Amino acid sequence: MSWIKLKMKFPGNCLVCNEKINAGESGLWQKGTGVKHEKCSEPAELKCILCGGPAGCATCEFQDDCDLETVSQLCICKSCMEKKDIFSLYQKSAKKKFPLLNLRP
Amino acid sequence: MMWSEKYRPQDVSEMIGNEEARAILLEWFAKWKKGTKPILLVGPPGIGKTTIANLACRRFNYDMISLNASDVRSKSRISEILNPVLGNISVLGSPMIFVDEVDGIHGRADFGGAEALIKILKEPTVPIILAANSDASPKMKSIKKTVKTIKFRPMPPRLLRVYLRHILYKENTKLSPGSEIKVIDESRGDIRSMINLAQSLVTGFNPQTDKSFESLNVEVGINAFFKAKTIDEAQTILYSMQIDPREKISAFYSSIITSNLSKKDMAYMMQVLSEADLLYGKILRTQQWRLLRYLDGILIKLYREEMSIRYNQYNLSWPILNRLRWDGKTLKQLFTILGNQMHVSRSTFGTLYFPFILQCIKNKKLSLSLEENFSEILEKEMERL
Repeated sequence: MSWIKLKMKFPGNCLVCNEKINAGESGLWQKGTGVKHEKCSEPAELKCILCGGPAGCATCEFQDDCDLETVSQLCICKSCMEKKDIFSLYQKSAKKKFPLLNLRP
Repeated sequence: MMWSEKYRPQDVSEMIGNEEARAILLEWFAKWKKGTKPILLVGPPGIGKTTIANLACRRFNYDMISLNASDVRSKSRISEILNPVLGNISVLGSPMIFVDEVDGIHGRADFGGAEALIKILKEPTVPIILAANSDASPKMKSIKKTVKTIKFRPMPPRLLRVYLRHILYKENTKLSPGSEIKVIDESRGDIRSMINLAQSLVTGFNPQTDKSFESLNVEVGINAFFKAKTIDEAQTILYSMQIDPREKISAFYSSIITSNLSKKDMAYMMQVLSEADLLYGKILRTQQWRLLRYLDGILIKLYREEMSIRYNQYNLSWPILNRLRWDGKTLKQLFTILGNQMHVSRSTFGTLYFPFILQCIKNKKLSLSLEENFSEILEKEMERL
């Protein structure tokens, strides 16, 4: 059964991102399955935490073993992967993008 | 030393993946005040839920009181552990509570534990963090209502590769590109499992071929374990035997019990197996699966150089097994007939009467008129006396 695009009559939770979909918003519905955001139904692509661009999931060497919907959403693209001391770069980038990680009492 | 322990992150910023989830948890800690909703960390095993709880607690100078599902089984046990903390009569400076594997509380088996926990969660006087592998079960419903949930996701494989290379670099070693990919694939987003597998390959006896990724089957594993030249090699073989722990213990038991060891060696080995069995029993009873990591640590004590132990799937020696297989049926018939004559059950006759009857026949004090096949088996049994 296919997904039907509709304007939500009742609020619900998106099956993909688990965020609320309010009444009046548009979303996709499938009988017996539930609802999801339109953007959540697009083929997912992880983001590169270093350069901020797409991680290149379509050409990734782990494409078959990476469940894009369930994994942690920030990855590293192929070109950034070739940089030196990538782990330190990752740590710096994570701290920069998520300043809360530097929070101290 | 296990790499998974050696490279356990010392700060939240040293972890990988789940950046947003980590940040949310730290913010919660920073803003925490009396009455703030507790946190529930949900995610598959091996992605750092317990680690981040520990590290965040350390960063914000809390003293962690760690519990698991087995501690929160009964109301009285919860009160015993947590009342001193919640009632502020603790000698600890600023305590926080961490309840691991909270999805392991079983509704029926518990004695008001879940309810008592929920009551505490509703009015928290200290920071409380819960961790669960899944929040989908119905028993988690009432807990979920009282907490803020933070989902932890498995790592994307490429990010795991970054971490793996970082560890390999620190260890001054390498894996072939193919091996790297396979280690990551096998781990399925579980960091701990990836590190363990990489260590077993790097320090292992197996060359890095496709074969080293096949988990060793029980027969090959047991034979290789006792043939190993060093204890390190034996340890690697143990890690590679990715089979059910009960099957692993049983395989060691049946192989050892049927081998020709001196009484002293046999007693020692049985003692080790008994330790392993006790641990596994405790794991099953308390559902503390993280204790499973210590099982191989116990089983490795079975290793001694040049032990002539080979795999045997039967836990009885061949003469006894043969007797059971070939003579068992005839003996059963004989016990039934003679048991009926003596007005006792078959098993009572076999256990209590038969040895005496045999002795009497042997001493020619008694003669029984039986069919020929029974006479044959009686002779065999008398030989064994």
